[in-house]
Amino acid sequence: MMSKKVLVVDDDPDVRSFVLTVLDENRYIPLVAQDGVEGFEMIEKDPPDLVILDVLMPRGSGIRLYHKMKTSDKYKRIPIIMFTGIALKSFLKSQKVLDEFKGMEVPEPEIYLEKPVDPEELAAAVKKQIG
Amino acid sequence: MEIKKILFVTKFEKLCYNALTSLLVLRKASLEHLVFLNVIEKDKVAMKRGRGYLKDEAVKLKEMANIRFIDWAENLFEMGLEVGAHIKISSFIPEILKVVKQESPDLIVIGRSGKGPLEQLYAGSDVSELTRQTDVPILVFKHLEGDNIVPEQLFDRPLFATNWSETNKTAVEYIKGLKNVIGEVHLVHVVKERVLKGKDTHEVQKIRKTERKRLESLCGELEHVGIKARAHVYAGEPQDEIEKAAKEYQASIIILGSSDKAAIVERWIGSVSKNIADNSIYPCLLIRKRHSG
Repeated sequence: MMSKKVLVVDDDPDVRSFVLTVLDENRYIPLVAQDGVEGFEMIEKDPPDLVILDVLMPRGSGIRLYHKMKTSDKYKRIPIIMFTGIALKSFLKSQKVLDEFKGMEVPEPEIYLEKPVDPEELAAAVKKQIG
Repeated sequence: MEIKKILFVTKFEKLCYNALTSLLVLRKASLEHLVFLNVIEKDKVAMKRGRGYLKDEAVKLKEMANIRFIDWAENLFEMGLEVGAHIKISSFIPEILKVVKQESPDLIVIGRSGKGPLEQLYAGSDVSELTRQTDVPILVFKHLEGDNIVPEQLFDRPLFATNWSETNKTAVEYIKGLKNVIGEVHLVHVVKERVLKGKDTHEVQKIRKTERKRLESLCGELEHVGIKARAHVYAGEPQDEIEKAAKEYQASIIILGSSDKAAIVERWIGSVSKNIADNSIYPCLLIRKRHSG
């Protein structure tokens, strides 16, 4: 069976390195983007099986990328694990997200992990989403 | 000209969340996106004899900044704003310029330079260095410093000091973009002392009348787009008179066009706009003529 591709979108090199190690050890193919803008470009170029997404980043935030994906017919089925220091409550309360999502059936993130997490917890979350 | 994106440069000591909240009124003037930048100066984590690279210190400072930014961002995300953050170990001005290139903000917000007079003379103040190298407008905030004025409604009563230069035309366009947040703008022109030297009362009154008419014409231009405006002519040294006018009319901010004087000239003889930005008790918005391309 082919390994699954996981796109990690995070501006912090230490976090990227941690996630990549976990993905490597669990035989996934890791892809990397440093911000929301680059992340979306990569999704358009080569849609991954899963996205692990930070919120607070330069250029484009995870909130904007999440919105873009979940309102796109092409990408809305790609599962997303939010992996961030921003509280879930704030993510959900974000006026922008709520406004933009008004009238649309945009689901909450599949999994919301608040940093930091153990490698096992992250690996389990990935496995739960894409096996 | 709209302010959609702000780059908020903070060292935390002088420019904090309170300063940020006073800018949120700009949401009425199309603000959508705030980008934070914290530059950890290299010398704070530089190699020291026998100690090597202070990696632990770097990690600690970055994490401290990150914790602050996350807290601010949560509040701003909840208000519906887009938020981004950069935390860099670098040199202050070069890093700001790098982020300006990446993010293309419509306004840079920074605190007043922490440099002493001698250091400024040889190296220039942060504000001077920045205005020389970018044409993005710069708001110099004076928050949490001594007797400085920090109005809750930052753009409610701006004082725009004009010397009728080309840059001032750019400033007028910028002010028009703030029409939804400005209560009343005070337009001031200072007739320099040397212009009045040797002139009799009639000639002085004539100068005053001419300048007043020009200002009133500018008031008309602003009122045409819905901004209340009042004209004032002052005479004397521009830096002193602008500060005086700001006090007399209880200005919330001083808006100035910024000149293109050569760096060395500016360091030795100064520029009115940058001297005011560095020394005034009021927040100052410096606007430079936009270069195309």
